[in-house]
Amino acid sequence: MTIAGLVRAEEFTPPGPGDFELPALFGGVDKPMLQLVLAALLVVGFFWVASRRGELVPGKLQFAGEQAYTFVRNGIARDIIGSRDFMMFVPYLVALFFFILVNNFFGLVPLIQFPSFSRASFAYGLAALTWVLYNGVGIWRHGLFGYLKHQSVPGGVSGPILALIIPLEFISNILVRPFTLALRLFANMFAGHLLLILFTLGGEYLLLTSDVAFYKPVGVVAFLLAIAISFLELLVQFLQAYVFTLLTAMYVSGAIAEEH
Amino acid sequence: MSQSGPFTEPPASRSQDPWVAFGRLVAGVGIYGLCGWLLDRWLGTSFLLPVGIVAGAALGLYLVFVSVRER
Repeated sequence: MTIAGLVRAEEFTPPGPGDFELPALFGGVDKPMLQLVLAALLVVGFFWVASRRGELVPGKLQFAGEQAYTFVRNGIARDIIGSRDFMMFVPYLVALFFFILVNNFFGLVPLIQFPSFSRASFAYGLAALTWVLYNGVGIWRHGLFGYLKHQSVPGGVSGPILALIIPLEFISNILVRPFTLALRLFANMFAGHLLLILFTLGGEYLLLTSDVAFYKPVGVVAFLLAIAISFLELLVQFLQAYVFTLLTAMYVSGAIAEEH
Repeated sequence: MSQSGPFTEPPASRSQDPWVAFGRLVAGVGIYGLCGWLLDRWLGTSFLLPVGIVAGAALGLYLVFVSVRER
């Protein structure tokens, strides 16, 4: 695939999905792959350095690390999963939240400026992890048959209609969930990045390449809008990391819940 | 897991993923649409696919209503 979105002298080529196909840097490894590794190193490094001393009266760094950890531990894990079981899942949820958060912020970090999860396959990978986790703990808690019953037989339905509902509930809870989970993260990152490319490339074209004098102020407006959208993206990037972690906790909570 | 006390209560906010409604509609339309399509192929008719799609959507909606009422 050729690199779309390159502004030629005469015509403006609008950016498209082709702009997300980055060329391999070496041996089949491209930039988003390196970003995943970098994000993992950053998250592990931050929490390692922040917790290394473990002083009773925390310094600034330790305080920041504890605040970050507590936000996920109490704000997501304990509130959703409940105080009996939540500690088991805190390591995964904390790692998941900060890994997604850092990868999303890469969309705005200068020189990186590419949200890793705008590549759908990465989002599907994360959703697969969550899928294995919530189904695994559900089977561990209820047994295989008990878990399938737990997820497929809704409370409050009885009679012959139940036979029609069971396959529907099974598909909705076991098969569709990982896709909606991954799609939400991927689509938000993809759309946000596309919007930013569109406004910056369009602004550049209007300001520098176009011959019509009237277009130049419009190009300035496009650049201003790109900056405004960057702030909106900052919010979306945080929210999507939060939502992904929150839903993971909800699925786990639903899988290990007692009978309804 | 039979023990119940103040600490084994389900969390106070038994909130659910709002997208579960979407999942149920998609699943309903998908599975009963597929059933209708297969029946159409088998019986040589052409009206069972739309019937299956509408029935699947209705069942999905019904399931959403039931799960909201339960809580």
